[in-house]
Amino acid sequence: MNLDIALWLSQDAITNGAVYALLAIALVLVYTVTRIIFVPQGEFISFAALSLASLQAGQVPGTVYLLIAGGILVVAADSVGLPRAVALQRLPGRLIRQMALPLAAGGIAWWSASRPDDLWLQIVATLAIVTPLGPMVYRLAFQPIAHASVLVLLIVAVAVHYVLTGMGLVFFGGEGLRSNPYSSLSFNVGVLNVTAQSLLIVFASVTLMAALWFVFERTLYGKALNATAINRTGAQLIGVSPSFSGQLSFALAAFIAAISGLLIAPTTTVYYDTGFLISLKGFVGATVGGMASYPLAVVGSLLVGFLEAGSSFWWSAFKDSLVFTLIVPVLLWRSLATPHSEGDERQ
Amino acid sequence: MRASWVTALGLAGLLCAGGASGQEITIGVTMGTTGPGASLGINYKNAFQLMPNAIDGVPIKYVILEDGSDPTAAAKNARQLVAENHVDALMGAVSVPSTTQIALIAEETKTPLIALAPVALPPEKLGWVFIVPQPVPLMMGAVVDDLKSKSIKTVGYIGFSDSWGDLVLKALKQSADPAGIKIVDEERYARADTAVTGQIVKILIAKPDAVVVGGSGTGGALPQIALRDRGYKGPVYHNHGTINREFIKVGGAAVDGAIAPTGPLMVAEELPDSHPVKKVAVDFDQAYEKIFGAGSRNAFAGYSYDGFLLLKAAIPAALKAGKPGTPEFRQALRDALESGQAVVGVHGVYTQTKSDHIGLDGRAVVLAVVDGGAWRLLKK
Amino acid sequence: MKARLPPMIAIAAIAAAPLLLSDYYIILMNYIGLASLVALGLVLLTGVAGLTSFGQAAFVGLGAYATAVVTTRYGWSPWLGLAVGMTLTATAALFLGFITLRLSDQYLPLGTIAWGISIYFAFGNLVFLGEHSGIPGIPPLSLFGWTIDTGWRLYLVIWLVVLLALLAARNLLDSRIGRAIRTLNGHARMAESFGVDTGRLKIIVFVYSALLASLAGWLYAHFLRYVSPSPFGINAGIDYLFMAVIGGSGHIWGAVAGASILTLMREWLKDILPHLLGRNGNYEIIVFGLLVVLLLHRTSSGLMPFLVRMLPGGRLLRPVAAAPLPQRPRLARGETLLAIDRVSKSFGAIGAVRELSFELKAGGIVGLIGPNGAGKSTVFNLATGLLPVTAGSIMFRGQRIERLGSREIAELGIARTFQHPNLLADRSALENAAIGAHLRGEAGLIAASLRLERAEEARLRDEAARQLERVGLGANLHDAAGSLPLGSQRILEIARALCADPLLLLLDEPAAGLRHLEKQALAALLRDLRDDGVSILLVEHDMNFLMGLADRVLVMEFGRLIADGPPHAVQSDPAVLEAYLGVAA
Repeated sequence: MNLDIALWLSQDAITNGAVYALLAIALVLVYTVTRIIFVPQGEFISFAALSLASLQAGQVPGTVYLLIAGGILVVAADSVGLPRAVALQRLPGRLIRQMALPLAAGGIAWWSASRPDDLWLQIVATLAIVTPLGPMVYRLAFQPIAHASVLVLLIVAVAVHYVLTGMGLVFFGGEGLRSNPYSSLSFNVGVLNVTAQSLLIVFASVTLMAALWFVFERTLYGKALNATAINRTGAQLIGVSPSFSGQLSFALAAFIAAISGLLIAPTTTVYYDTGFLISLKGFVGATVGGMASYPLAVVGSLLVGFLEAGSSFWWSAFKDSLVFTLIVPVLLWRSLATPHSEGDERQ
Repeated sequence: MRASWVTALGLAGLLCAGGASGQEITIGVTMGTTGPGASLGINYKNAFQLMPNAIDGVPIKYVILEDGSDPTAAAKNARQLVAENHVDALMGAVSVPSTTQIALIAEETKTPLIALAPVALPPEKLGWVFIVPQPVPLMMGAVVDDLKSKSIKTVGYIGFSDSWGDLVLKALKQSADPAGIKIVDEERYARADTAVTGQIVKILIAKPDAVVVGGSGTGGALPQIALRDRGYKGPVYHNHGTINREFIKVGGAAVDGAIAPTGPLMVAEELPDSHPVKKVAVDFDQAYEKIFGAGSRNAFAGYSYDGFLLLKAAIPAALKAGKPGTPEFRQALRDALESGQAVVGVHGVYTQTKSDHIGLDGRAVVLAVVDGGAWRLLKK
Repeated sequence: MKARLPPMIAIAAIAAAPLLLSDYYIILMNYIGLASLVALGLVLLTGVAGLTSFGQAAFVGLGAYATAVVTTRYGWSPWLGLAVGMTLTATAALFLGFITLRLSDQYLPLGTIAWGISIYFAFGNLVFLGEHSGIPGIPPLSLFGWTIDTGWRLYLVIWLVVLLALLAARNLLDSRIGRAIRTLNGHARMAESFGVDTGRLKIIVFVYSALLASLAGWLYAHFLRYVSPSPFGINAGIDYLFMAVIGGSGHIWGAVAGASILTLMREWLKDILPHLLGRNGNYEIIVFGLLVVLLLHRTSSGLMPFLVRMLPGGRLLRPVAAAPLPQRPRLARGETLLAIDRVSKSFGAIGAVRELSFELKAGGIVGLIGPNGAGKSTVFNLATGLLPVTAGSIMFRGQRIERLGSREIAELGIARTFQHPNLLADRSALENAAIGAHLRGEAGLIAASLRLERAEEARLRDEAARQLERVGLGANLHDAAGSLPLGSQRILEIARALCADPLLLLLDEPAAGLRHLEKQALAALLRDLRDDGVSILLVEHDMNFLMGLADRVLVMEFGRLIADGPPHAVQSDPAVLEAYLGVAA
């Protein structure tokens, strides 16, 4: 071990840690706003990376059909329980509102699939496909039970993870895909060979974090989310509907996941089930911050990145064991720092 | 309402117990087309579309069950196939643990098993188990021979952290030690890993003459890409689990020059006409690619198909001894399978005897190299 | 308790199954039995105690690997393998429980996900565990020279174990410890104030569920005779949880129902789906996931309640009379019971209680009144250890208690009711009341599982019934607490507190929601209690109710005591009038 190696490993750690940090931020966001531990986050990463690769291969990815089917289900779910006449009367408006985005995304995807060299169009198409899936998942799976306990929400989240993983296999098959690099540039900084790709990952992550900070602190929607996170009932009283903040937080989470997916797509082989393990590492990062603190979640994710890089160097067979064992000292520390149980009392 | 639905399902389950047998041969198959082995399993399963529905005028039925690459489910499937479907032979599975698990059941129920993956059991426990894939030591032996011919003295190893990674490493050691080739570093990675930088850096420090990758399918590409990114110039070897077109698609220019051992079917057209396997392999490749597209040939579908060819060669003798569905038939089928008859498959010539339930030799190995975006025969 | 008939039918069906089912279905039943054991642990953990774990499969793996190593590497007996597996599992579960269960509820599932993944890779990479290829050649079990190697022999062993585990779980839930476990699901503060050590109990339940999983793993290893890492990964852990949730996580037979439904459905889907859809793909996973989502949208208690509802209920009787429990010696009238000395409590910058001082003598009924937000309930929480004081001291019978926890204070003889009834809504009034008597019994988990504590349990139940009768709920012994009117729920809270045999009873607005006649009955009850030697401090809004009842009234405003004296004197105190009416008299 010398300085060169340390630098190499740090570069790797920071690149991976940046992706984990994005995911950890999304997990904290969704958890504080909706109390959902959002396990299916990982599937959105896979969906984005694989959709991009499919588009580059000139195919319309199966996720487009999922999006359209999801839109129809949302309209159906919104109509359930209404008197028939009302439901019918509202149907056209609903169809337009709910189906516009999926159909537009589908159109872009079709167009993009016919232009396999247009990278920007592919990126736009991927974001347009994956982002609306977030609020759809919230509307269909979580909104009806928004008041259930953290435990029930977690079990539903795991069930949704199952469903989306199964669909990923149907859409993309069992083999992995890798998309074209955005840039094959690289340059030497001392002993380091820095690729434009890894700079892009770090740059995109930092930009996205800054943008999120801006959204939370400076925009009305962001403040609404913040208010819900701090006090659900209070936010409702001042007119922030929990369904709205739930869908908004899921949209943001899906958008962040899609960006993460786009960032890793050219650097690794992505399989239909890759996302799960990546998002679990984001989880370990978020747990460091007690699922509540954004800065600590970022620190935790970088810690995961460093631990992973280090253990893949020293003891690669046990790398994943070590990364997930990190949660033990973290929990121990939180546990000893907490004077008594934080368990919420049912009244 | 919900409850009565459950009861109805329960009753239906009890009633559908009991199966059919008669003048029909039943082959029971369990494989994982989902789960961690999905990418291989789908190929294994595709080959069944090429298999005929009768042998010697006797109809043959394939019951294919899904095990999700989980040994517990594979065991459940094997039990179901034996007890419910009264199969005459079992085939499967995709992973070493699953295949090992069903081999135990084949032994217990005295049902011949055509194992489509290696089995982690000692030979004396394999009385009813016939193995199709080339033993990993045979394949890695060919790799070591090539290393020797290039005067390579040191190799680094990076393989999956699963049973496949274990097997390739063990076989590599087995051949490399007597050849005086040193394994200077051993690393592991997972299929879903986003980076292998740490492992690659460590391999580079050890400065090996060549690197051997113990991955499979597209998963094998990641270390080679990382090696080339870091400027590693030495040859990179893979194994027979790696060879398919997706590997090249994912790896792009970085995997150019990758060398891997494989069965003859992958490069059948380039083999000399004198190669005993050439005709069977070319026929199979053409039939397979007609259904699944040009370049879709792969070793795994070949294993399923060779399994079928082994059964096809043994069934006529077994039919003389008893009716399908009876213990006599299964006993005769096993005896015929280990009769020492030479069976030409797409992966090699199988001569399975009482003492050798694999029966493959050097004819089952060729080395292939990625050249110009396709797998080609490595010319010596 | 509940109708005994349905379980008997289920047991008879299980006993008769080997005669009716084909060989394959016997083997399937074996798988179901193993899964039921694991799911039963999750029923106790998730359904009853409100905690959850995704790592149960890892405990199954620990049990399976332990016996595999012990029997194949060292040639020891499987029984030793069981002992080693159980020991390892208990150690691992204790450690995991210790670090996660003190934190809020989502940390156990997160911790167990990480644990499940870590141990999977550890199984796969350790050479002495056979790495990813696993350990073959595990010998079959053997009992009295009888080798258990065929389907139906295994069936008998597995289902005997399952039935015994179900019996033990049923016994456990129908006991003092079982009632305490039920309180873990969202009622921990209440339970602590009746002396239940909820932190310790959470760990015990987690270890118990892990041991059930480990036992299943031991059977698994000797049933399949081969272990490898993949059946013990995180997905298997999720499957077990789904079984418990689908079957009905609040009911022990839900474990069997869930395991059966999931296993059988998977079998049939495996046969049917490829025909319906004609493609490869993991459709089972999609179908299961959707099923769980839809089920949880309707109910979080699974299918079992639907099944139970179709069955006839039995007649429920009052518990038989038993020897009364020993009572604390009553205090002499006038002895100083509680002394609060310059106590303050602030939440951040807000002072909820400021320099409050008063004393209570034994044998009186004292009212504590004041406008909303005056700090009355905070005083109760400080006196019962639910909140720590910021400054000052609280003495109970001459002993300082302001630094003690709820449990220790409960042991000294203070019992309380809650302003918002804190009851287990779907359990009977009798069970709710019996929670109050927690500290008057001592039988633990093992005694309860084996039914060695029936004499003590009979006395506890009889005590609960007597206190309910005393407060006038004798006709509602078996009604679910949540089904009672709000006023009766407050009365039930009093019965529960009385079961603790308190010297000092703290009542938080007991008369709210009561009709006139009920209030009279309550007043009579409180007088009766006073005559019996129980001292009472009650927070109340209804001045008229207090007038005829209390010997003394304390008035609080903004965390301070503004008046103290006999009711009629306080009623005309100018400071009190100003506080209540906002006008200077």
